[in-house]
Amino acid sequence: MIPRVITAAEWQHVEAGIRQRLKALNMFLHDIYHEQAILKDGIVPRDLIATCPHFTREVMGIDVPHQLYVHIAGVDLIRDGNGGFFILEDNLRTPSGVSYMLENREVTKRLFPEMVAESKVQGVSQYPILLYNILLSLTPRPVSKPTIVLLTPGIYNSAYYEHTFLARSMGIELVEGRDLVVDNAKVYMKTIRGLRQVDVIYRRVDDEFLDPLEFRPDSVLGVPGLVTAYRKGNVAIVNAIGNGVADDKAVYAYVPDMIQYYLNEAPILPNVPTYRMENVDERELVFQNMERMVVKKTNESGGYGMIMGDKATSEVLEAAKLDILADPRSYIAQPIIPISTVPCYLDGQLQARHVDLRPYALCGPNGIEIVPGGLTRVALREGSLVVNSSQGGGSKDTWVLGA
Amino acid sequence: MPVFQIQHTTQYDYDYPVWESANSIKLYPRTQEGQEILSQQVQLSDKEARIETYKDYFGNTVGVFNILANHQTLIIDSVLTVRIPTRTVSTDPGDMSDWERMGVAKQEQILLLDLARPEALSEKGQTVLADCFSGDQTPFEAVMSSMAYVFERFQYIKGITDVETTLEEVLSLGSGVCQDFAHVQLYLLRSRGIPARYVSGYICPNKNGLRGEGATHAWVEAWLPDRGWVGVDPTNNVLVSNTHVTLSVGRNFKDCTPVKGVFKGGASHALSVYVSVGYEDGYVSSEHNALKANKIIVSSETTDHVQQQQQ
Repeated sequence: MIPRVITAAEWQHVEAGIRQRLKALNMFLHDIYHEQAILKDGIVPRDLIATCPHFTREVMGIDVPHQLYVHIAGVDLIRDGNGGFFILEDNLRTPSGVSYMLENREVTKRLFPEMVAESKVQGVSQYPILLYNILLSLTPRPVSKPTIVLLTPGIYNSAYYEHTFLARSMGIELVEGRDLVVDNAKVYMKTIRGLRQVDVIYRRVDDEFLDPLEFRPDSVLGVPGLVTAYRKGNVAIVNAIGNGVADDKAVYAYVPDMIQYYLNEAPILPNVPTYRMENVDERELVFQNMERMVVKKTNESGGYGMIMGDKATSEVLEAAKLDILADPRSYIAQPIIPISTVPCYLDGQLQARHVDLRPYALCGPNGIEIVPGGLTRVALREGSLVVNSSQGGGSKDTWVLGA
Repeated sequence: MPVFQIQHTTQYDYDYPVWESANSIKLYPRTQEGQEILSQQVQLSDKEARIETYKDYFGNTVGVFNILANHQTLIIDSVLTVRIPTRTVSTDPGDMSDWERMGVAKQEQILLLDLARPEALSEKGQTVLADCFSGDQTPFEAVMSSMAYVFERFQYIKGITDVETTLEEVLSLGSGVCQDFAHVQLYLLRSRGIPARYVSGYICPNKNGLRGEGATHAWVEAWLPDRGWVGVDPTNNVLVSNTHVTLSVGRNFKDCTPVKGVFKGGASHALSVYVSVGYEDGYVSSEHNALKANKIIVSSETTDHVQQQQQ
């Protein structure tokens, strides 16, 4: 209920850092699925990419509109005890939660109407328009009214509410896989007036479920033949297929090197120090300091596959060590950072709770826009550092003050 | 310079109409040294459907087509004329430094790394194969000995394995068909760090009585320094020279499935595959198989909602 406040100067710093990072990540994804120069130059180890479950060989060499892979990113930031911002995750696949950002603002505008105006809180409500304009710019056909759809896994998905909300606010069709068909490498939507060609798909279905001909053959959430239409350039898919390779937490460790390599700049926002368990020295260091580390699986999200060293019993930690030794590629460790707290109104009183910050960045052919604000995710349990909504986290509005 | 004419017909018959079928075919011979495609025609029972082709990660030509309207039969008919130039394959064993040069090459190409990673196998399975190699072999010798090993240890029996049979099951059965022989040798080569790929195609042995004649066939290619991809056929214990026509290559059968697809509708179906190989002298060998289907049925009634992870 109480908004979290970020000053204009702090925001400028965050904004510049995210912009730089996404520019480099987009270049990385294009490179990985084309020339692989960054591997040839030995900046990122080839073996790391070859063993990444999200390195999608099926999209190798596919050219996407404007060479844009990441259209929407939900970048997770944390602040340490000194107030410095760190990037925790980039979330380049199908980040969720933006509807909460928009709804939270509606709530605080009603609760504190004067304060919002007086403090010159920067608006966030332009998000659907910004996203719509990007989707529009990706249309492969030069038609005045391209067909844009939001592809949802359906009503059983936990983010279904958000899918309906976004489709409605952008005025685009909400479809499921069974509403679409592919014919002659073009995608069509079934309507009561017959088939209508689809130009842009904002999909909230994961890669492996998108096309049973290419990926999981048992998926009924996708559209058979979709990847062929994508490959031929007859449909744009947002976000691009194969972005997961850059979300791998072991690949994340190399993002500062990517920024240096592609942009020849020093990273504006640092990573959280990340130890790759494949490297013997780093592994030893982590094993000796398990109670100060958080161990994470490299390809899980939503706060799953995570062990907090300070909270876990010694049996759990010993078991974790064995798991790591059996499959070091699948784990990383990070020092536990005492992330910042903000006041929360809980059970009738103000209490400090740990938070992170997830701003939403939109990348289009004309550049990268980061909506000022974002979702402040709250670990509702006292002392907990885990903010994921799938782990019982809450959220609050984020006010970025005007200059 | 033998010239072969190959006909490969795949037919699906459904007991009730199906619709919105989407199919992917790997029936186009690879453009590569050692085979010259003189002509090919691929025809579908549905004359309206158009096949879109593209090159996949392994360089195979893949065709994709959809049939939206109700149908009860699907026929895919490929007629191909191909010339295989006569060539001799070197049997020079190479030397031990080839191991090191192979290691360097692997670090330079993700594709070779991909093809040098063995699939996971239980300890029991590993024991079955434990005595295949000896330490003093050059990579070429390891390729030859693993081929002979598979040929001698495994029995060629049709009908006891199918496209779903795992490597583990093949090892405990001790028998199978060309596809299983290839999978076993692939495991052996990869466990020694030798990049190796599955090859799907046809064998045209000119009445030599080789196994797999007049049918779709599968064998193995191993990557060796200086030579590149060397074909070996563990089902027949021969180096591949001028009797094999390559359609596609990949990590395993799944990457090379000649015909696969999905459709909507609750029908059950029968699949039959007919392959014939004709020679210049007029001799024709052929095989007609009613096969266990490797087609996946997507019923329009049952929808299975898989919860995805949140980001």
